[in-house]
Amino acid sequence: MNFRSLRFKLTLWYVLILGILLISFSAFLYLTLSGSLHRDVDHKLRSLAELIASESTSPLSKFSFGNIDQTLEDSMNLKPIGKFIQVLDESGRIGRKSENLKSVQLPISLQALRNASKGLITYETNRSLGNVPLRIITFPVKENDQVTNIIQVASSLQDVEDVLRTLVIILVITVPSILMIFSLGGQFLANKALKPVDRITQTARIITSQNLNQRIQTLKVKDEISRLIDTFNEMISRLDQSFRQIKQFTTDASHELKTPLTILKGEVEVGLRKKRLPHEYEQILQSNLEEINRMSKIVEDLLLLSKADIGEIRLIKEDIDLTRFITGLIEQMKILAQPKNIRIETSNHQGEIHILGDPLRMRELFINLIENGIKYTEEGGSILITIAKETDDPFSPLPPHGKRKEAFANVTVADTGIGIAKEDHEKIFNRFFRVDKARSREQGGSGLGLSICKWIVEAHQGEITVHSEPGKGSSFIVRLPLYTPQGQNLDNF
Amino acid sequence: MRILVIEDEVKVANFIKKGLEEEHYAVDTAFDGEAGLYLSEVNEYDLIVLDLMIPKINGLEVLRRIRNNKNNVPILVVTAKDTAEDIVKGLDSGCDDYLTKPFEFRVFLARVRALLRRERTDAEPILRLADLTLSPVTHKVTRGGKEIELTSKEYGLLEYFLRNPNKVLTRTMISEHVWDYRFDSMTNVVDVYVNYLRKKIDKGFEPKLIHTIRGVGYILSPDRP
Repeated sequence: MNFRSLRFKLTLWYVLILGILLISFSAFLYLTLSGSLHRDVDHKLRSLAELIASESTSPLSKFSFGNIDQTLEDSMNLKPIGKFIQVLDESGRIGRKSENLKSVQLPISLQALRNASKGLITYETNRSLGNVPLRIITFPVKENDQVTNIIQVASSLQDVEDVLRTLVIILVITVPSILMIFSLGGQFLANKALKPVDRITQTARIITSQNLNQRIQTLKVKDEISRLIDTFNEMISRLDQSFRQIKQFTTDASHELKTPLTILKGEVEVGLRKKRLPHEYEQILQSNLEEINRMSKIVEDLLLLSKADIGEIRLIKEDIDLTRFITGLIEQMKILAQPKNIRIETSNHQGEIHILGDPLRMRELFINLIENGIKYTEEGGSILITIAKETDDPFSPLPPHGKRKEAFANVTVADTGIGIAKEDHEKIFNRFFRVDKARSREQGGSGLGLSICKWIVEAHQGEITVHSEPGKGSSFIVRLPLYTPQGQNLDNF
Repeated sequence: MRILVIEDEVKVANFIKKGLEEEHYAVDTAFDGEAGLYLSEVNEYDLIVLDLMIPKINGLEVLRRIRNNKNNVPILVVTAKDTAEDIVKGLDSGCDDYLTKPFEFRVFLARVRALLRRERTDAEPILRLADLTLSPVTHKVTRGGKEIELTSKEYGLLEYFLRNPNKVLTRTMISEHVWDYRFDSMTNVVDVYVNYLRKKIDKGFEPKLIHTIRGVGYILSPDRP
């Protein structure tokens, strides 16, 4: 048996508590019974002594201290069986005594005698006569406040002690037996209750990343253990899910990297198969450089996203006026748009719009979105960027303070490009999802741009959505919480 | 020998085409499943190189449809999908060999040669007829132990002849297996090249191996028809 096991501890506590209870109960029983029996004896002794005393002092009584037994029987019709009676004078000299005492005297202690002379009653237990314990009452008989006689009545405690001894024997035998039986029972119960725990342990032990589809068998009864099993199973499910996601992501990432690697390896190997002209080598090197740049971009983006996933990126947020910020960006983006003759326009009727954001990430976000717009818009198209404060539904009744809530800044990047089919709207923010793989690669995309945009927006407590119709263009809508510049305007996230 | 490369990654398709052409194969390329399937139906290829993750019709589906067309052409799948399940699925869908990206070009070429050999009964690495030999690995051609220098097209033509010895080959068959889709069948290019080849391998040697079947085409055989 494992002494550290929960099973052992449970049983131990169970037996310990039961033991304490049983022993306390036994002690209580013993003490109560013993007290009650002794009180009973004392009570009888006192009644008899009082009776004798009252008889002896009554002027009408024929009572004398002659033959006590006879007198008692005659006067009171009483035969005190098992009681020993002895009458002493006030100085303690023994006068008459009951016949059953024969030649023996009841012992009287000095203390009792002293008490009696003061008129006090004394109870004593004496074991000096043979082996029989005696309970003796020393009762002073008073006449006109003078102690005239002392009556001693004694009774054997043999019966009382026999009863008590029997009780002790019964308790000594039964308490340990009960404890033994209950410890076995307790162990059985603990076993039964903890069996599912063993099963959980076994399952947990065999679960690795390879067999996360395993589950612990659920119980029919809904108790704490079944809740534990449910919780455990849910945890395995979540683990399973995240392992699957990681696996999918790794597979996707490795596929993404394999294409440029295949090109690099293939072009170089084919190139090296024979001597070539300088311009052919140049072509190969140029193409290789393109692929290397593409790989760098993928690796960079992957690194950024995985850092973002584990929360390792610190955003240094500051007050940004989106109107000025985006207008500044557009000037740079126009250079990219020029070769395709794409116009970039802005629309803003509300002046300054402040948000709290990391300028580096905000830049990345809007450059990504505008760049995407340029990539997927045909020559001569246009990109319209609208910056506005988002109000509540304008048709809803005005709130009591008379002003609509302006909680969000709303930036829409709308292009007149090829658009995205409805079924892909959800997926375009997924990592490595591409509507048109060939086209995306031609444009040098890593397949992670929109995933990064989504992460940036969400890290700023905003949201990003897309509206698009194939052939008509796409609009990406970024909502970011507004910021009212007052007091502290630098917040470390 | 004419090879079709179905691969959506333009650069990959290009270096495969370039590498194969430098090995004297005639190569056509298709950048999606639909075009690839179409080309495989209208032309007779000696080998198809197929990527699995391609747009429009995916590679596995292309594979199934080619086999459903009772087309027995050797197919070499070249893909980034490299798990055991992927490989099993690919081979079970009817491809003859499976190569994962990125691959070594030498290995790729060796697999191409192995698959082209599959069609022949002897499967000897060196093609041989009478005292004429051609090694697809070294591209060395000899007759009577003497090495013969051939141009790329002549080599391609001879390889096709040697893979189909003692068989009448029409001008159309020759043009389809030795030239790619840019070939203009209205010209007499085939006759011109057969004559070039004849001069190099038959002149000064006996017996003559290339014979003209009037009105039909040519036959490569040690015996006069």
